[in-house]
Amino acid sequence: MTVLAHPGSKAANSLSLNMKLLAHHELDGFGGIGEGMALQQTRDGRRILWLAHESAPKNFTGVDVTDPTKPKMVIQTELPHAKVRSNSLDVVGDLMVVAYQTQTVGLSPAGIDLFDISVPESPKLLSHLDRSGPHSRGVHAVWFVDGEYVHMASGAADFEPHNPLDDQFYQIIDVRDPKNPKEVGRWWYPGTRKGDPEPQPRRLDKKFDCGFRAHNTNVFPQRPDRAYCGWLDGGAVILDIADKTKPKLVANWRYSPPFNGFCHTVLPMFSKNLLVVSDECVQDGGADWPKLVWMVDARDETNLVPIGTFPMPPVAAFGKRGGRYGAHNMHENLPVPTSFQSEDIIFGTFFNGGVRVYNISNPFQPEEIAYFVPGAPPTSPAGAIQINDVYVDENRVIYAADRFGGGIYILEMTI
Amino acid sequence: MSAASLTPQQIAGKLPVTVITGFLGSGKSTLVKRLLTRPEMNRVAVIVNEFGEIGIDNELISEVSENMTLLSNGCLCCTVRTDLEETLRELFIKRRAGEIIDFTRVVIETSGMADPTPVVHTLLTDGMVFARYRLDGVVTLIDAVNGPGQLKEFPEAGKQVALADRLIITKTDLVTAEQVQALRDDLAQANPYAAIHTAVQGEIDPALLIDVIPARPRESQISSWLFGKDTAPEAGGDGAEAGTGYLGNRVRAEHTLNVNSFVLTFDQPFTWDAFSAVTQLLTSMRGTDLLRVKGLVNIAGEPGPVVVQGAQHLFHPPVTLAAWPGEDRRTRIVFITRNIPRAAVEGLFNAAAGLTAH
Repeated sequence: MTVLAHPGSKAANSLSLNMKLLAHHELDGFGGIGEGMALQQTRDGRRILWLAHESAPKNFTGVDVTDPTKPKMVIQTELPHAKVRSNSLDVVGDLMVVAYQTQTVGLSPAGIDLFDISVPESPKLLSHLDRSGPHSRGVHAVWFVDGEYVHMASGAADFEPHNPLDDQFYQIIDVRDPKNPKEVGRWWYPGTRKGDPEPQPRRLDKKFDCGFRAHNTNVFPQRPDRAYCGWLDGGAVILDIADKTKPKLVANWRYSPPFNGFCHTVLPMFSKNLLVVSDECVQDGGADWPKLVWMVDARDETNLVPIGTFPMPPVAAFGKRGGRYGAHNMHENLPVPTSFQSEDIIFGTFFNGGVRVYNISNPFQPEEIAYFVPGAPPTSPAGAIQINDVYVDENRVIYAADRFGGGIYILEMTI
Repeated sequence: MSAASLTPQQIAGKLPVTVITGFLGSGKSTLVKRLLTRPEMNRVAVIVNEFGEIGIDNELISEVSENMTLLSNGCLCCTVRTDLEETLRELFIKRRAGEIIDFTRVVIETSGMADPTPVVHTLLTDGMVFARYRLDGVVTLIDAVNGPGQLKEFPEAGKQVALADRLIITKTDLVTAEQVQALRDDLAQANPYAAIHTAVQGEIDPALLIDVIPARPRESQISSWLFGKDTAPEAGGDGAEAGTGYLGNRVRAEHTLNVNSFVLTFDQPFTWDAFSAVTQLLTSMRGTDLLRVKGLVNIAGEPGPVVVQGAQHLFHPPVTLAAWPGEDRRTRIVFITRNIPRAAVEGLFNAAAGLTAH
């Protein structure tokens, strides 16, 4: 008998549980998507999925997913140069906000663009908010769900951090006049800015030091006076933004060390007084394992207590499968009509672990109920899928994006 | 556990398990061997007693591990290494880690003489197995040549028939049509609520093994699971009234197997407390003789019927379906018992219904 390696053990093969692939679109060979996904319902009845690219040369792409089994690309735009990336975007109605982050400080464009996308094929630039500066790389992530304010992680011309890794902090931008966006408030991690009276925060070991920067800065209509922020090595941060001009710290759950930093998303479950907190894996081959999704008790928001983590396949199974393996973006229950919203069923991305779905009805024991791990895209430098972000629409159609060449995978759950 | 503690989605999300049982020589290995070559089995993991018995050498394309092999049609075939729980756990862990195919169903071939009840109970009592798998039916094979004698001689054979959701008479080419019909009548008498099929040389339609026990509210499937056919018998029907022949058969079957079966129907909804109390009383007093119970129960306040099923002392956790599959909202429960008269069970449930009537 010939003994062969089992084909299922290769990163080339797809793995699924209770999920079905409806369609796959490689975005014309530019299938590297960052962490910006939004779904527009157009006035002429179409549904356009907007995607921010992970890196140059492409800026953003619009895909018509009116029929999710037949996605059609309607537009793909270019960046001005190779040292900038968009990475993040959000859409409210016909208004789209796109982030720009440069590779090094001092470059531009570094900030946000606002586009009128009422005709998706020809987005009209309404304004650019410049956040470039001698110590700024611009904007990494935006949150825009109410049509009025953009909450974002950004540097600024007037901000000089002690450590260059700490350049992006929380900023609130008033876009009620989209042609004239204005900063209204900001908060940075105490001790990170030159001149702060507080001592500098204790940094992680060099191997894991990623900085004290804001990542996702989410504000929901259930609590318009709170911003829920992932603050990388600073952990989870809750801010009081009742006065948008003066955000104040409510709570900071700091769990690294002993963990390896990079808190990414803080997602509140308001009906349950819980937070789902995700890390981001940023090293290949399991080098920064474990990067987890945490369940945190927030009954007392000033005393956040972790009560569990989402189960993931063992690092032995996926750590060396290619690229990164660990937590990253969650579907964030965006309070917009085209977004799935649930405080029981949570969708997360895990790079080569694909997109995974959890039932958190029992928060002490989150249960994995479905997953889809696409086979390695042929052009992927990681040699494996690297699912980077996920968006779930109100019909529970799941859009998962690859970080490198895979483009988007459109899925449905079979349960 | 409350009736609603498992959502239908969760049940539908578990991997279905088909249990194939039957007495020694009933043709299980032949049937499994034929199944293993069918293209429809490309995402099925089949747990067999021994590789040798089913002779799959020609179908084999790769060995996953000592006890798992992948066949050319994509079917995964494995043997039980230590115990069945361990094998089912290992299968899920390897599936999740991408070491084996994404199987969507497990078929278990039980060993010869065995009472299949423990296999069914394995799916309920092991935490991880229960979290990931659900029973999707017991298929019992009865050999047309030796079956009638085995049914008389060995009580395990009777239990295999009583537990079945599908009955398959094998080797029908080796006996007369009259003999097949007599066996069919006996089986229908012992377990009138299982569909009866025949197979020659292990040839069956794999679809017979799929979606046997309802995980979603589909009327035809539920009727076929409960009553062995697409329409329900008349209210209050028992085996004889379910259209399976004349009294002589009935007497013979009961003598042979000491098994009787009946359907109870109730017009008024139960409260969950009353229903579960009666069920617990019944299982604690007569669990050994409660060979099979399956049914749809109308629980006050639930959006759809609660699917209950059990074998002997163990009941599966009740599952509330999202909606009623049709107009009939009555509670309908099938009992296959050994020496428990219908009147006794009916009295018990009526008493409970009386106590909770508003």
